[in-house]
Amino acid sequence: MNILASGGFWAFVGVVAGIYTILALGLQVQFGFAGLLNFGQVAFMAIAAYTMAILVVKEGWSMWLAAPLAIVAAGVGGLVLGLSSLRLRADYFAIVTIAFSEIIRYVATNETSLTGGSQGTIALGPIGTASQYNGEWSRFEGRVQHALGFSSSDATMLVIVWAVAVALLASTWLALRTPWGRVLRAIRDDEDAAASLGKNTFAYKVQALALGAALAGIAGLFYAWEFSFFSPDDFAPLLTFFAWMILLLGGLGRVWAVPVGAGVFGFIFAGTRFLNFAPFSWFGSDQRAYLRLIIVGLIIIVLVLVRPQGLLGNKREMVLE
Amino acid sequence: MTALLDVDEVVRTFGAVRAVDGASFAVEEQSITGLIGPNGAGKSTLFATIAGSLKPNSGRIVFAGSRIDRRPAYRVARAGVVRTYQAARVLTRMTVLDNLLIASAGHPGERLTGLLLRPRAARAHERHTLERAQELLALVRLESHAHDYAGTLSGGQRKLLDLARILMLEPSLVLLDEPIAGVSPALRVELLEHILAVRRDRSITFLIVEHDLDFVMQAADRVVVMNEGRVITVGTPDEVRTNEQVVDAYLGTAH
Repeated sequence: MNILASGGFWAFVGVVAGIYTILALGLQVQFGFAGLLNFGQVAFMAIAAYTMAILVVKEGWSMWLAAPLAIVAAGVGGLVLGLSSLRLRADYFAIVTIAFSEIIRYVATNETSLTGGSQGTIALGPIGTASQYNGEWSRFEGRVQHALGFSSSDATMLVIVWAVAVALLASTWLALRTPWGRVLRAIRDDEDAAASLGKNTFAYKVQALALGAALAGIAGLFYAWEFSFFSPDDFAPLLTFFAWMILLLGGLGRVWAVPVGAGVFGFIFAGTRFLNFAPFSWFGSDQRAYLRLIIVGLIIIVLVLVRPQGLLGNKREMVLE
Repeated sequence: MTALLDVDEVVRTFGAVRAVDGASFAVEEQSITGLIGPNGAGKSTLFATIAGSLKPNSGRIVFAGSRIDRRPAYRVARAGVVRTYQAARVLTRMTVLDNLLIASAGHPGERLTGLLLRPRAARAHERHTLERAQELLALVRLESHAHDYAGTLSGGQRKLLDLARILMLEPSLVLLDEPIAGVSPALRVELLEHILAVRRDRSITFLIVEHDLDFVMQAADRVVVMNEGRVITVGTPDEVRTNEQVVDAYLGTAH
């Protein structure tokens, strides 16, 4: 149980919760405000992470140039997906997004010369060398750590990720309170009615998708920096569904519900790691790994049954017709 | 008087069904025109075609001198043709006030570029929109509900909100789809008064689809009668009432 008290472990959980916050914030913009069923959010993480790593390792770009370009690439990915698929009905669009994210993952797995293939980013460079994309990031993190006077890099990362997450939450919150955000909410409510009021609903949906994709891109960059290595398997659909769980836990249509959902999810997910006493100790550790997922799922089902509107959601908005 | 809307030989089919089969009529500027006909006459299809949510297979729809039949619904609305739906489609999960604010034409704050590059214009437009919204809320007497979700309003209140929202857009032509269906007798009178006042004070033209003939005869200056996808006659309420074809096709079966 000593790991329970370890600050480093909980700092790591906090970093991951921060990354999930940014990822799920993108979904909140897309689904919570514009009503878009996007089940391929993880693809935009992958696009940004790979764009950054490839530009840094293969092209020798500065990370400070590669990172913004990677975010733009994720946004453009959203734009392309939106322009080609958003005229479909909501449920068909949802299916296309899953396919899109799997296509991205398969391309990353098979285009070995571009992405390093299933070996991941370690194989990005020439054969026989173990390539790294995050040298510049580590130096930056070190400077921040020094400036803050922290002893642990986990705590430093925690501060950086959450500073960015809070800034993004605040800007999203502000953007959605503008007349622009009001149109998004109108489209979520009744797209035909919004069109009959003169709103170009297609353009708004594409914008929401692209912005949410760019947010996922930022999450992808932090994911890449936090783990110093990634491979196509890191971007499996499960991650998208984690983001959806966070959204449902926190509550739809509320920006500040996202970090709450991510915090609760991170706590449940990490907390179940300590279920090593009876009756859990009757199972082997590999079985316990699956047991954890089952327990996480059960807790979320119960939470959704008890509070279908999410922890911070507005129940009245759910039942109005 | 000149024609504000000109519907010319419009055909719209659904598979083998010719829902609108060469319908032609004109709506005079500042008139209240009633569009009536038995069930299945093609009124609703024609309505949706004028509003741009359906495209005609052939024919032309000309509004204020320009063709609108190839434009998407949102551009028809921007040109000044705004429709209501039979069941008022208020945005239930938004407040009554937001329902009005959303109906502001050419708002720079509704575009991301406008927000970033013209923030002052966006704020000024928002202030102006808010003033107009409050004015129209007062007109339909819904001020006390401004901050309630529109989903909490009664059916009649939704009709009033819908009307106020349309006026926010300052349209030239309003298409009303069964405005008094399911509305109490008292509110019926109120809606009629609103429509007449709006025509008088704001020079807005109305095209009304309505099953309640008494209401149409009271409200309309001209009545267009459809049957089986075609316009069978156009005239004043009195002329239509005594037209034999109309009596055969419509009144005969209804009375």
